[in-house]
Amino acid sequence: MHDSDPLMNVSLTRRQFLKTATFAAGVLLAGCGPKGVPGARVTLTQWYHQYGEPGAQEAVQRYAREYTKLHPDIAVRVVWIPGDYSTKLGTALLTRNGPDVFESSLSLPMVTAGEVVPLDDLFTPEIRADFNPKDLALNSVGGKIYGVKMFDDTAALYYRKSILEKSGVEPPGTMDALIEAVKVLNKAERKSLFVGNDGGVGSLLTIVPWSAGSDFLVDGRVVFSNPRTAAAYEKLLELNATNALLMGAPTDWYDPSAFTQGLAAMQWTGLWAYPAIRKALGDDFGVLPWPALDAQGAPATFLGGWTAMVNAQSSQIEEAKKYVKWLWIDRTDLQKDWCLSYGFHVPCRASVALTADALRAPAAADAVHNLSVYGHALPPQWNSAMGTALTDAATHILKEGRPAAESLAVAAHKCEVVLRRMQE
Amino acid sequence: MKPRSQQFWSQIPRYALLTVLATLFVLPFYLIVRSALMTDAEITAPGWVWFPATPHWENFRTLFDDPDNQMRTGLINSAVIAVVTLVFQTLFSSMAGYALARIPARGRDFVFGLIVATLMIPGAVTFVPAFAVMAFLGGVNTQWGVIAPGLFSAFSIFLFRQFYLRFPVEIEEAGRLDGLGYFGVYWRLLLPNSTSIMTALGVLTFIGSWNSFLWPLVIGQDPSSWTVQVVLSTFLTAQTMHLAQLFAAVAVAVLPLVAVFLVMQRSIVEGAKFSGGKE
Amino acid sequence: MAITTPIVKKTPAVRSRPRPGATLAFWAFVAPSLIGLLVFTIVPIVWGFLLSLSHAQNTIHPGHFVGLRNYADMLTDEAFLRSLVTMVLYSLFIVPLTWAMSLGLALLVDKAGWGRSFWRTVFFIPSAVSYVVASLIWRISLFNGLSFGFMNHLLAPFGIHPIAWIGTVDPPWYWLVLVTLRLWLQVGFYMIIFIAGLQEIPKTLYEAAAVDGASPGWPMLRYITLPQLRNTSISVLMLNLIGAFQAFDEFYNILGGGGQSAGNASLARPPLVYLYSTALGDQDFGRGAAGAFILTALICAVTLIPGKLFGLGRSEK
Repeated sequence: MHDSDPLMNVSLTRRQFLKTATFAAGVLLAGCGPKGVPGARVTLTQWYHQYGEPGAQEAVQRYAREYTKLHPDIAVRVVWIPGDYSTKLGTALLTRNGPDVFESSLSLPMVTAGEVVPLDDLFTPEIRADFNPKDLALNSVGGKIYGVKMFDDTAALYYRKSILEKSGVEPPGTMDALIEAVKVLNKAERKSLFVGNDGGVGSLLTIVPWSAGSDFLVDGRVVFSNPRTAAAYEKLLELNATNALLMGAPTDWYDPSAFTQGLAAMQWTGLWAYPAIRKALGDDFGVLPWPALDAQGAPATFLGGWTAMVNAQSSQIEEAKKYVKWLWIDRTDLQKDWCLSYGFHVPCRASVALTADALRAPAAADAVHNLSVYGHALPPQWNSAMGTALTDAATHILKEGRPAAESLAVAAHKCEVVLRRMQE
Repeated sequence: MKPRSQQFWSQIPRYALLTVLATLFVLPFYLIVRSALMTDAEITAPGWVWFPATPHWENFRTLFDDPDNQMRTGLINSAVIAVVTLVFQTLFSSMAGYALARIPARGRDFVFGLIVATLMIPGAVTFVPAFAVMAFLGGVNTQWGVIAPGLFSAFSIFLFRQFYLRFPVEIEEAGRLDGLGYFGVYWRLLLPNSTSIMTALGVLTFIGSWNSFLWPLVIGQDPSSWTVQVVLSTFLTAQTMHLAQLFAAVAVAVLPLVAVFLVMQRSIVEGAKFSGGKE
Repeated sequence: MAITTPIVKKTPAVRSRPRPGATLAFWAFVAPSLIGLLVFTIVPIVWGFLLSLSHAQNTIHPGHFVGLRNYADMLTDEAFLRSLVTMVLYSLFIVPLTWAMSLGLALLVDKAGWGRSFWRTVFFIPSAVSYVVASLIWRISLFNGLSFGFMNHLLAPFGIHPIAWIGTVDPPWYWLVLVTLRLWLQVGFYMIIFIAGLQEIPKTLYEAAAVDGASPGWPMLRYITLPQLRNTSISVLMLNLIGAFQAFDEFYNILGGGGQSAGNASLARPPLVYLYSTALGDQDFGRGAAGAFILTALICAVTLIPGKLFGLGRSEK
C-alpha cells in the first residue's frame, strides 16, 4: 500500500481497503491455476536436481522439447531444483502435486510406501545385458527394477602435478602418505587439500571406511561398527589435525572452484568437474582414488549417479514411462551428449561407454578406471536417517575427539532400529 | 540545572559509545551494498577494497537475466504472499477482535478461551503436523498453501480485541441511534477509526511474512512456488556460487524492506510496543 | 510473533445488552478466523498426535498404530537429546545477552539529548532484515573462512591467518557467528520495548530519589529503573526465550540442515532443525510428530512455570 502516509493516522479509506482486498484475492486466485502447457493433451512434469555445469539445464530442456516435437500432444515441463533436492523430492512425493518423472536414487521406503512404479517392462533382455549390473542391482528391490540408471558418477582426488613435483611429493597411495604430503605442501596462502568445509565429514563419510576395507550395510545387516571404521575416522581426524585442509570456502567439495582458483593443491571432487578443471589448469593435474587406509585397505571411490523414476501417484504413468524409455533407454545419442558435453559422467550402458571417447582423455580415463575397480555404493536399504546417525558419529569423532568405537556403536544401534522399522 | 554546553560535554562518552555501536550495526548493510557492486574477482581479491572503483550496476541486470536464477519468481511470490497475508490477516483479525470485544453472544467466552489456548502453542513447532494436513488438502507446492495458515493469527486477534475493548462506547451507541447494526458499526465506525493499529500491526505482518522462511521452505518444493527467502537460501547450497549475484540478490531482497521500514517507522515502533505488551 | 504470558489475561469484555441478531453477528464475525484456526492449528494438532502414535514412514497418514514407540525412540535418540541440550545452551547465551544489550541500548538512546530518533533508527533497522539474509552476510562476507572475509581481513594485520569461523570446533567459533547474528537482528526490537518501558516510569520517582540524596547513575538504575522495568524485562525475556527455543533459520542456513546435508549440521542442531530433518528429510512423520509434541510440552512448561512462580501477568499498574 504505497499511498500510505508515514504519520500515525493513515488515510486508508474503506473503499481503498476493499479495493486492495479484491485485488489481493484476484492475484491469489490467478497464481493458483494449474500449470499446463497450451496445446498439449498431457503435460509431464520432470524434476532434476541442479547440475552446476554451464549448459546442463538448457540441455535437458532441449531433450524435453525434442520429445514434444516427436509427440506433439505431450509437453514436458522441466523443473530444475537447486538446494536440498532429496528433501524437496521426498516431500513432494508425499503429495498429489509431485512430479511425474524425476531423478533420484532408490531407497527401500519409496518402494514400501508405493511411491514409485516398477519399470521392468522397459527393459528387454538385450537392454538389461547392456546396463552396468551393479546399477541394475542398486535399483532393484524384491526382483523388480524401479528406475532407469541415467549415468554413473564418481569422485577423485585431483592434484596439481606442478605443485607436487616442486615440493618433491609423490602422489599419495595411503592415508599416511597423504598426511605427510599435506604437511609438506601446506602454505599460508594456499592450503594443501580441500575435502569440504566440514573437514570431510560429508564427502568422505563412506569413502574412508571403504578405503579401510569396511562397509556399512551388507545383506540387510549393519556392519560398520568395527575397529577398521574407527581407525579410518581416526586417521581422518589426524588429517584434519594437520591444519593443512582448506575450510570455509564459499562452495563445497562438489564444486571445483577451490581447486581451479588455486586455493588448494589437491581437492576431492567429482568427475563431473573434470571439464572445468581441464579448462582452468590444462594438463597440470592428475587424479587418484581416495588412498587406502593402510596395507590391509584398498583405494576407494563411490559409484554414484542418478536414476530416472516414475511417480506412482502420477495420473499419467504410461506417458511418463514412455518418456523415460525414450530418453534414458532409446536415445543413446542424447545420453552421450549428457554424459560428455557438460560435466563428465560415465555412461552406465556398455554400448554407450564404448563410444565415449572424451572419457579417454588423460586423468579422465584414470578416474573411469578407478570407478570400475574401486567403486562402492550403498544399497537401497540405506536411508537418510542412517546417514544422519553416521554423520553425527563421524562429527563426534572428528570434531569433538570422542572415542570412535563408542560413537560408532551408538550410530549402529540407531541404524539397526531404523532398519527394523523399515522392514515392518 | 547545568549549563547546556557542560551537559553536552558530559555526554561525550555516550555519543562515542553510540557511534561505535552504530557503526557495528550498519556494517552488514555496508557489506551488502559494497559486494553487490563488485565483480566476483573483486570480492575474492586478497586485499580489502572498501568500495569498488567502478560500481558494477550490471550485477542487478545479470541477476534477473540469468535463467538459472529464481529471483524474479521469488520476488513476485513474496510480494503476493505478503500483500495477501497483510490484507486478510488484518481483516479477519479485526473482525474477530471486534466480535470478541463488543458483541455479547453465547459461546463468546468459549471462543476466546480457544483462541488464547492456540496462542500458547509455539507456532513453529507445529510445522510437521501442519505440513501433513496441508499435504492432505493439496496445498503443498502451491502459493495458497504458503499463504493460508498465515491469514489467521490468534495473536493478532488478541491485540485487536484489546484495542476494541478500549474503543469509546459512546461512538458505538451513537451509531446505533443512527440505525447501524453490528456490521454497520464495524464497517462504518470501527474500521475507519482503527487505522493506527491496523497500520502498526499490518506493517509488522508484512515484514514478518516477507521474511518468513521455515513454512515456505516446507511447502515450496517446486521453484515456481518459492519465496525470496527460499531462493536466497538455495544460493548457499547451490552447485556453484556467483558471489556478486548473491549479494545483488540480497540487496534486492532487503532494500525494499529497509525503505518500508524507514518510511513507516513510527507505525512499526507502535506495533513493536503493542506486540511486546507495552501499550 | 510469539506471545508472552503477561498479555494472556482475561479482561472482562464490555457486557452491553444483547441486541437482536447478536449471536448471528458474533459467529459471522469470528467465522473466518475460527475456521482458519481450526483447520490450520487444531486439526494439525489432532492429526499430529495420531501421527505421533503411528509408524508413518514415507507417509503423512496415521493408521499403523504403534503406541508410544515414537516417543520412546525420540527420548532415547542421542541426536534429539543433544538438540535439546543445544537449545538450552544457546538460550543461556542469547537470552541474557539480548536482555542486557537491548536494555543497555535503550538507556543509552533514551538519555541521548541529541539525535535520539537517529540512534533509535540505526539500532532498530536490522529488525527489517530476515534471518536468511543475515545468514548469507554472516557466512559469506562477515565470517567467511577465507582471507576475503571481513573479520579475517581485520585480523590479518595482527598476523592471524584466516580463521574458518564455521568449521572450527576448537574453539567453537560458530557460536560467535550464530550469537552475533541473532543479537544484530533482534536487539533493536527489544530496545524499542525497553524505551517504551522507560518512558512510562514516572519522573517524580527520580526527583524524589534525588531529593533524598541518591546520586544519578548506578543507584538510580538499581533501585528505580530496574524494578520499574520488571514486567517489561520479563516480557522481553519470555519472548526471547520462546524465539530461541524455535531457532531454525540461521542454523539451517549457516551450518546446513536438510536430510542429506552433512558435516557442520551435526555440530549444533537445534530441535527444529532435527525435526525438519527427521520428518521432511528422512520422511519419518511418526517420529517427527512425536518430537514436535515433546518440544511443545517443554516450551509450554518453560513459559508457564515461571509465570506461576513469579506471579507473571500481575498488572503493571
